[in-house]
Amino acid sequence: MNKITAETLLQDLALRCLNGEKISDQQIKVFASKDNFINHLNYLQSIGFEHLANINGVDYIDENEFEVDYHVYSYTHKIHIIFKVRIPREKPVILTVVGLWEQAQFYEQEVHEFYGIYFEGNKDLSPLFLENWNDLPPLRKDFNTEEFSEILFGSRKNGGEE
Amino acid sequence: MNLNSYSLTKIAEDDKDTTYDLFFGPNHPGMHGNFGYVLDMSGTEIISVRPNAGQLHRGFEKLMEQRGWVQNITLVPRICVMDPDPNEVAYCMAIERIMGVEIPERAKYLRTITLEMSRLTSYLLAIGGVGGALGHYTPTYWSTADRDLLMDMFEWLTGGRVYHIYNIPGGVRSDVPEGFFKKLLEVMDVLESRLPDYDSILFENPIVHKRLKGLGYISKEDARITGLSGPNLRASGNAYDVRKDTPYAAYADLDFDIITQEGGDSLTRALQIRMEYEQTINLVRQAVKKIPEGDIRLNLGLLGSMKVPPGEAYEKVESSKGEFGYYIVSDGGLKPYRVSVRGPSLPAGFLWAQKHLPTMKIDDVAVWMGTLGICPPDFDK
Repeated sequence: MNKITAETLLQDLALRCLNGEKISDQQIKVFASKDNFINHLNYLQSIGFEHLANINGVDYIDENEFEVDYHVYSYTHKIHIIFKVRIPREKPVILTVVGLWEQAQFYEQEVHEFYGIYFEGNKDLSPLFLENWNDLPPLRKDFNTEEFSEILFGSRKNGGEE
Repeated sequence: MNLNSYSLTKIAEDDKDTTYDLFFGPNHPGMHGNFGYVLDMSGTEIISVRPNAGQLHRGFEKLMEQRGWVQNITLVPRICVMDPDPNEVAYCMAIERIMGVEIPERAKYLRTITLEMSRLTSYLLAIGGVGGALGHYTPTYWSTADRDLLMDMFEWLTGGRVYHIYNIPGGVRSDVPEGFFKKLLEVMDVLESRLPDYDSILFENPIVHKRLKGLGYISKEDARITGLSGPNLRASGNAYDVRKDTPYAAYADLDFDIITQEGGDSLTRALQIRMEYEQTINLVRQAVKKIPEGDIRLNLGLLGSMKVPPGEAYEKVESSKGEFGYYIVSDGGLKPYRVSVRGPSLPAGFLWAQKHLPTMKIDDVAVWMGTLGICPPDFDK
């Protein structure tokens, strides 16, 4: 396998209709659409990007979109890719990548728990961390923490006195 | 997890066997942090396991969205109690990447030295953890005493023993006090002189070898594809180290090799900790020898009202447990828009627990956790 650099990788991905930007010599970001991103991740895995470091969500509430970021890294090429997929906020559904990486199961459970994003095909989206939670998913930007703590613990004046 | 759905009584019974549910943790002495596994037991054999997380959850990622850029530095070290410095450095590095600034050389070396000191404290706890989980408490007492020497050094340098809050965006908080490096090198000599003792009582102990050999085997390919990192990955034969592959701080100037072994079992991972511990002592000495004079931080204006330009970055640091990554999104305001933390323990703590534990006996759970270096706060954050 030839050594891939950030530039050649971006050219290669542009041929596959994937736009990207170089962040540094060892890091790029890529924007994919939610329809065929699995094929792209599958391709990246096949050319040596085998380390899935993390999956995280971001709530872009002003643009009415969620973003799911897949952080993949190649031990061979030593390049880190931030693989970004945007989905609409009203219908937050995205395909699961458990078939590619087993540990994605737990990252997807976490993102589902904190953003309410559904991962189609993931059989177990049960909560991992929060117990008996029936409020808005807490990492969404419209979740009001102050209001929540006032309801749960009662309001307190400054200084902590009742 | 909904605790009401579990009962502590027997869950299945036939003519011969009865299966019980057992909560291993959060109060079990072999458990690291307020985490637990719910084990289905038949006798001493584990049949299935459910990770029981959530008791440590403090919503750090949400809290960070509501505090200023610099205020968050008091928060991030709490994500890994044993090895807090990689969090501070990764967080600061991501901010520096978004701002597009390069920190002074001396600050890079000071970060390297504190990172390696922090790694030593963490490895000492890990050595104690392996010993304690085997019911062999002598190395635990020794390593706790040795770790205290490093805690004293941290207290002298930063004012804090466990959480140091030493790094800030643009560099480090303060320069080293008079005579610090001389004392630090003395401490390194003491730590190195203790290694033969640890070897004879723990790492070359035939009972320990017999107990750990073959336990929790992870193959080279499995380790690569399931997201393991750090010593666990290298003990399975993969030469990957963030310090070498994407050098940060002053690691590009230091001379060291990636230590790898082929074994992939708990014994190999314990020996990996021992070898990397020795390497870390060497790295501290090198960094102290090479540290240049100069500034210790950039002037980024008033830190309390610091603003970071819009942008995003993912920065990673090799901690004693593996790759710690911080993904930060800034919208140009006084606070981060999003901070996502990649903790190194999640693949081992969740995925490998479900693969490994059902083949084990209950006596092995604590040892298995100790050698994999599972630190639950970094995923249950």
